[in-house]
Amino acid sequence: VAESRALGNGWWLVTDGDKRWRVAIVEGEDGTWFFVDGQVGRIDAESAPISRGRAKGRGDTSVMAPMPATVAAINTSVGQSVNEGETVIVLEAMKMELPIKSPRSGIVKAVHCAKGDLVQPGVNLLEIE
Amino acid sequence: MIKRLLIANRGEIARRIIRACRELDVETVAVYSDADAKAPHVGEADHAVHIGAAPARFSYLNIDAIIEAAVAAHADAVHPGYGFLSERAPFARACETAGLIFVGPPASALEKMGSKIGARALMAGAKVPVVPGETPVDQSNDALQAAAARVGFPVLIKPAAGGGGIGMKTVRDAAAFGDALAAARREATASFGNDSVYVERLIEQPRHVEIQVFADSHGNTVHIFERECSAQRRHQKVIEESPCPALSGSMRQRMGAAAIAAAKAVGYVNAGTCEFLLEGSGDSAHFYFLEMNTRLQVEHPVTESVTGIDLVHLQLRVASGEPLPFTQAGLSQRGHAIECRIYAEDPAQGFIPQAGPILLYSEPRGPGIRVDSGVQAGSDVSVHYDPMLAKLIVHGSTREVARRRAIMALREYAILGIRTNISFLLQILEHPQFVKASIDTGFLDREGGSLVASIPRELPAAVLAAVQQHRAGARTSVTSSTISSPGTQDPFETLRGWRG
Repeated sequence: VAESRALGNGWWLVTDGDKRWRVAIVEGEDGTWFFVDGQVGRIDAESAPISRGRAKGRGDTSVMAPMPATVAAINTSVGQSVNEGETVIVLEAMKMELPIKSPRSGIVKAVHCAKGDLVQPGVNLLEIE
Repeated sequence: MIKRLLIANRGEIARRIIRACRELDVETVAVYSDADAKAPHVGEADHAVHIGAAPARFSYLNIDAIIEAAVAAHADAVHPGYGFLSERAPFARACETAGLIFVGPPASALEKMGSKIGARALMAGAKVPVVPGETPVDQSNDALQAAAARVGFPVLIKPAAGGGGIGMKTVRDAAAFGDALAAARREATASFGNDSVYVERLIEQPRHVEIQVFADSHGNTVHIFERECSAQRRHQKVIEESPCPALSGSMRQRMGAAAIAAAKAVGYVNAGTCEFLLEGSGDSAHFYFLEMNTRLQVEHPVTESVTGIDLVHLQLRVASGEPLPFTQAGLSQRGHAIECRIYAEDPAQGFIPQAGPILLYSEPRGPGIRVDSGVQAGSDVSVHYDPMLAKLIVHGSTREVARRRAIMALREYAILGIRTNISFLLQILEHPQFVKASIDTGFLDREGGSLVASIPRELPAAVLAAVQQHRAGARTSVTSSTISSPGTQDPFETLRGWRG
């Protein structure tokens, strides 16, 4: 299980098993910028990673794609109940798997993607009510 | 000694000059445009004067405004840095007229080296090798064809009024000359309104090797060895190093002597650089004078690293009338230095310059690492000026030690908020031809596309996940209390990479 721990001044120590990276992360108006080992990336502002279900129990919550990616797996279906933090969809981007977790507990109201779909940032993948 | 120096520049070079002044107890006056009111160089100087609007022609290129600022601030000298007004004879004259010391060569030397054709003739007269070529008065097809035959194929046809590579044609044999000449004339007419051309021998796959020279006002001129700057993208230098791996000891001496002769031929004083093309390597190489840069160079720290000389200190002392504190015999090179220019440009988007805020800025540190930077966290990179943000200079006992040091330093050099060329620099440093030091001035233009394509785009899932969490404001297992600051990290831990 990956962990990150703040080192201060925008730096994080990310560990995954016995691997570790020092990552700089900062929020900008145009998105979230990050740096690791000489590589710079940005997740654009308009592509909110997961619309978080702060307002629990009030209305539906959408689960969005954080970046251009391919849908590798859908672990749920309409009518199923899911728990907060449960991986509902697995995306594949930059040859890496990216688990998309449910922001809240609830019932899956709609699934807007299929395995193999190429999805764009901000696209609504799944709705939970 | 100069008492109060106005620095007619901005960015990293202004800060570097301010630092040297502090060390020599010289007061500093910064100048700034509307865009630079909060720039680091303004805050670091002892005094600061606003000189105009953001576009350079209203501020950093505005001779009247700068002279006025110098007089108002009671400066007794002006350092032009590089770029902007540094090689403009009228600026040097204006300083002189206002009773200000110009930290650079006399205006007459700027004029002589400023004219391409005049400098070529002067150099030939001083027995400095220039690229063999002819400028026939008779511009008929037959006369030019004959000139090309005398120069020897392959040749370059160049517009007499031209520049920037426009209208230049490579001709490999006599049979192809006619068509190339017609094309060169058409392009020259279209671009410069003048169809005169000249013929030069084509130097195949040359290296760019330049010699640092220094002259005082007492008649002493020395060379301070070479820098190789073959890693250029569209004539813009990207990586520089010293010593030049292709230069033999005797070639170094011959080029040094030629550079001194060039400087003396124009009555040069202060720091200057003679640029040469080097054809071949070892004792059998040939070199040809390109031009003289009559100022401090961007890449001067490479020379400082291998010689231990502070070139800006030396500039200020020589401008104050002091003699050079060493002779040629007292100079030597030690180890190897590499400079990487950090540009605000996006390699993935055809290197278009980037502008915007710097949200996070973290320089590498460690033995043999120097960063000369014009920005800091909170800086706004403006569209008005050169996109060079900073220079990383590393020094090591050998070229390989320096190369590895540069790679490790760049992998720690975090600049967030705008895109930079750091990922591209890393690819150059790892390219087998760069590793072998077998590059010429065409290397980056030939290999640039594949270098950009080789920039890794895969990221570890754990890193992406961490970024996602940060973005969402959620953090798993925040235990920041266990680590005091990033400065205390074990370097062997922090350098562990994710590729491979």
